[in-house]
Amino acid sequence: MPTITVDGVQYEVEEGRTILQALDDLGLLMNGVDVPHYCWHPKLSIDGSCRLCQVEVEGMPKLQIACDTRVSDGMVIHTTTDRVKSAREGVMELLLVNHPLDCPICDQAGECKLQDYAYEYGALQARTVEPRRALKKKVDLGPTIVFDQERCILCRRCTRFCSEIPATGELGIFARGDHSVIETFPGMELDNPYSMNVADICPVGALTTKDFRFKIRVWFLEDVPGICTGCSNGCNIFLGVANNKVQRYVPRRNDSVNDTWICDAGRMSYQEIDSPSRVKASLVRGEDGVLEARPYAAAVEAAAARLRRLVESKGPGVIAGVASAHLTNEDLAVLKRFLEALPTESAGLPVPRGEADALLVKEEKAANAAGARALGFEDAAPLVERIRGGGVDGIVMLGHDLLDPAYLGGIEALQKLDTVIWIDTHQSDLRHVAHVVLPGRHAAEKRGTLTNHAGRVQHLQPAVEPTFEAHAEGETLERIGRALGLTGFGGDPAAGSPTASSRK
Amino acid sequence: MGLKVPYVTSYLTEHCAEDDYVSLAGYEAKGGYRAAKKALGMAPQEVINLVKESGLQGRGGAGFSTGMKWSFMPQDSDRPKYLVCNADESEPGSFKDRLLLERTPHKMLEGILIAAWATGAEKTFIYVRGEYAFPADVVQRAIDEAYEKGILGPRCMGKSFAHDVVLMRGAGAYICGEETGLLESLEGKKGQPRKKPPFPAQYGAFGMPSTVNNVETFCHVPHIVDQGADWFRGFGTEKSPGTTLFGVSGHVVRPGLYELPLGTPLDEIIFEHAGGIPGGRKVKGVIPGGMSMPVLPAGQLDVPMANEYLRERQSMLGTGGIMVMDETTCMVRASCIITYFFRDESCGQCTQCREGTGWLNKIVNRLERGAGSEKDIDILVDVAGKMEGQTICAFADAAAWPVQGMIRHFRGDFEEHVRQQKCPFSGSFEL
Amino acid sequence: MVISEDTRAAIDSECAKYPQKRGGLLPAMHLVQKQLGHIAPETAVELAEIFDIRPVEVMEVLTFYNMFFSAPRGRHNVYVCTNLPCALRGSRTLLAQIESHLGIAAGETTEDGRISLGHEECLGACAYAPMLRVDETYHENLDLEKANQILDGLE
Repeated sequence: MPTITVDGVQYEVEEGRTILQALDDLGLLMNGVDVPHYCWHPKLSIDGSCRLCQVEVEGMPKLQIACDTRVSDGMVIHTTTDRVKSAREGVMELLLVNHPLDCPICDQAGECKLQDYAYEYGALQARTVEPRRALKKKVDLGPTIVFDQERCILCRRCTRFCSEIPATGELGIFARGDHSVIETFPGMELDNPYSMNVADICPVGALTTKDFRFKIRVWFLEDVPGICTGCSNGCNIFLGVANNKVQRYVPRRNDSVNDTWICDAGRMSYQEIDSPSRVKASLVRGEDGVLEARPYAAAVEAAAARLRRLVESKGPGVIAGVASAHLTNEDLAVLKRFLEALPTESAGLPVPRGEADALLVKEEKAANAAGARALGFEDAAPLVERIRGGGVDGIVMLGHDLLDPAYLGGIEALQKLDTVIWIDTHQSDLRHVAHVVLPGRHAAEKRGTLTNHAGRVQHLQPAVEPTFEAHAEGETLERIGRALGLTGFGGDPAAGSPTASSRK
Repeated sequence: MGLKVPYVTSYLTEHCAEDDYVSLAGYEAKGGYRAAKKALGMAPQEVINLVKESGLQGRGGAGFSTGMKWSFMPQDSDRPKYLVCNADESEPGSFKDRLLLERTPHKMLEGILIAAWATGAEKTFIYVRGEYAFPADVVQRAIDEAYEKGILGPRCMGKSFAHDVVLMRGAGAYICGEETGLLESLEGKKGQPRKKPPFPAQYGAFGMPSTVNNVETFCHVPHIVDQGADWFRGFGTEKSPGTTLFGVSGHVVRPGLYELPLGTPLDEIIFEHAGGIPGGRKVKGVIPGGMSMPVLPAGQLDVPMANEYLRERQSMLGTGGIMVMDETTCMVRASCIITYFFRDESCGQCTQCREGTGWLNKIVNRLERGAGSEKDIDILVDVAGKMEGQTICAFADAAAWPVQGMIRHFRGDFEEHVRQQKCPFSGSFEL
Repeated sequence: MVISEDTRAAIDSECAKYPQKRGGLLPAMHLVQKQLGHIAPETAVELAEIFDIRPVEVMEVLTFYNMFFSAPRGRHNVYVCTNLPCALRGSRTLLAQIESHLGIAAGETTEDGRISLGHEECLGACAYAPMLRVDETYHENLDLEKANQILDGLE
């Protein structure tokens, strides 16, 4: 392995890497060793055009771009010399020659690399008095992205992204010189399942998502690390939180899971958190057959009472548990323990399925199917048969995936059941058959772990607190179990359970 | 005014006034393809050594040793190897290759064939600038004739050596004269120069080992093979042997081409050969090697026209395009045209070039309008300095040097614009 | 289909000259422009299909090079070289005179669709300035009278 010296410190680096790649491998890039860059991106081909990452390499007369200069053993690199500083200052000044001075109305302000680097590496005074180039300010690029041509610094990350990652190549650079502009083919749109990533990699405010632009200034956001729950890939994200509300998801780099990307569907799934279709109240079906709102504790008692009656009349074996692949491993472990303590062997795991792609999107549209299977939950197909055959009288239903066409395909088979206890985050037709409804918590609202399709266990932490009374599903099961007097369910459900979910 | 064939000829252009020299028969009647026959009887390495010994420097602007360039081509490689003939002559002030294409196409083809043999190339792409429609037709006819007569094709000149020549026309982009911009264009892409390394000898046209030479460079080769390295070194200077085609334009009595040995003093070319300045006016400045090269003031015209001497005067031979500006010329106006050209032709990849060329042009235009300040002149120097030596290709250097040269020698012109708040040169050419 | 069978056949034979088909793109664009006068987006889509590339890639190439047009032009493309060697010999004065003779500015087309006028960077005729490029033909050593004669002779 070659050894290089950067600003007087020696590092062992991998053969064949460029200086920027080597620094990135070491975790030092912009995190100890500052080599500012625009066109270079760790997951895109090397472009070498912005020229900001120039460094001094001993033995080479000219400054070298760190993004495209390969390391060699004994290479001595300087990133803070006057020559380097002057070159950076030159590039920054030239990038600002045509850049509009509209930071106050630009949505990128606060996370703009042009702002950051101009402050960090630029000259204090602007010397240009020439008119800047006038271009299109608001280009509707497609369903997800708006483009401001004037702000574009032509780093070509977005064009490379589209050709290299989703391989849809919608964006091109038309004309040349300082007339160059990014465009789509006339009449065509930037429209692919990963399109919104261009807004993340755009270092300036040229590409913004229709969803997030002008929503909130980014400095009001707290970035909470989390996991996207749209499918079993478990893409790492930051949840941008303000006012106890998730305002957006942006990808968080994890080279083993999602590189620096996330699909648009996953990104937009943050909308499920603060959605009108959330189950917000604990409900109990009255004598008159109508669901009535009840305090959470009363609903827990009601659930326990129905289950107790069933156990006493027909025995616990007629009760089935339906696991949800959306739950955390910790929630699922409680469910498993609950069913064992009843005891019943009747259980199943419905897994919602959809289209997969070659990049990130997986067929299983839930974040923790692998974790549920690892805990012993098997596919719900046999359970569906048992329900249809009349072998089930009561059901503890987590989520509503059992209604998918691949399983029950509707509530019909559930209508004749004696007891349906339903714990969920979002509304479904189950409200027509449930006897007790208990609100659950979204992954953004609790602590726990998820196991992705490859068996990787990833942590969740609460980013927001529900505005209504909702407890993690495992906690609710603990309470029902305690009310039932099940073995092992005696403790304090909130304090003793790993699903304890209060955000602090 | 403006004779098409050179006013002064030597070995390169000796017969180019003769119409039948364009045909294969006419060319062969004057000894054409004799050198190729000879070269194909030599070992390829011998040919490379001969060209190295001759000291031939590329005539496309950079002046790199041709033999050396050929020797960079991998010897034992299974991959096909290509030659590329750079006929994208677009450097303002240069019009020499056009003459060679139009009047000596077979000489160029003979040079190509010799280079192909020496480097083991199986194909040559001749990239002719798009605007050169007529020269391209002439060369295509010569290629067709060479195929008919078995000079090119599966058995070149009866030898078990195959070589094909393909002519492509560009489409109007100066940057395609940069060798890797040319390669991109040849591959059907935008002519944006490539990062180097890898160099064309490893990764050239269509990803294969390639050598790119200029039209005139190829034309010297048959003469070297035919008459030897020592003969060739009999022309020019020790470091810059051979003749070249100087193209003289602007304010001279006889603008045109002059084939003269490298090292011929600039004032000899202007006054002795090109007839001096019309109307008895004085010279103000001369751009010695195409627009990319820094201007020289009237006091420096004694410089011998070879890189080793021009470098001492902070300029270069470039493509040998000599632009003469008389005393009526406003150097700020000239700078407006120069900076506009580079702004218009920048490919737009690198920040310094894309933004710097435009900025220089805007400042110079403002100075010419009389709306500039002393500080603007310093900014020009500073920005040009920050564009230099920092980009993927040499275009940004080529855009920076002329501005630096203009201010180095004619700062007074700029300052006078600032002082009078208008262009003080009412007699200058119109913008 | 706007690209004719004949043009398509000519494109195929151009492509055969290159180790990769795409090498034939610039020649193909010249051929298409010869047939149609310009390369409209619909034409670019057809070219993209021929070369099995994305239409946006054709547009990138189309807009990079000065000699390709994405919009219709006059029947003749007339250019005056206005670079320094020509300017030193009065080409910019000549251009201004031609503009007033034709009643249009550089960058415009005459009302009858006869001439699109433009100025161009160095065309390699520096010693024969001023000069005009009319379509594929150079006219050199001009003065206004000669230039007007040439322009008036265009159909």
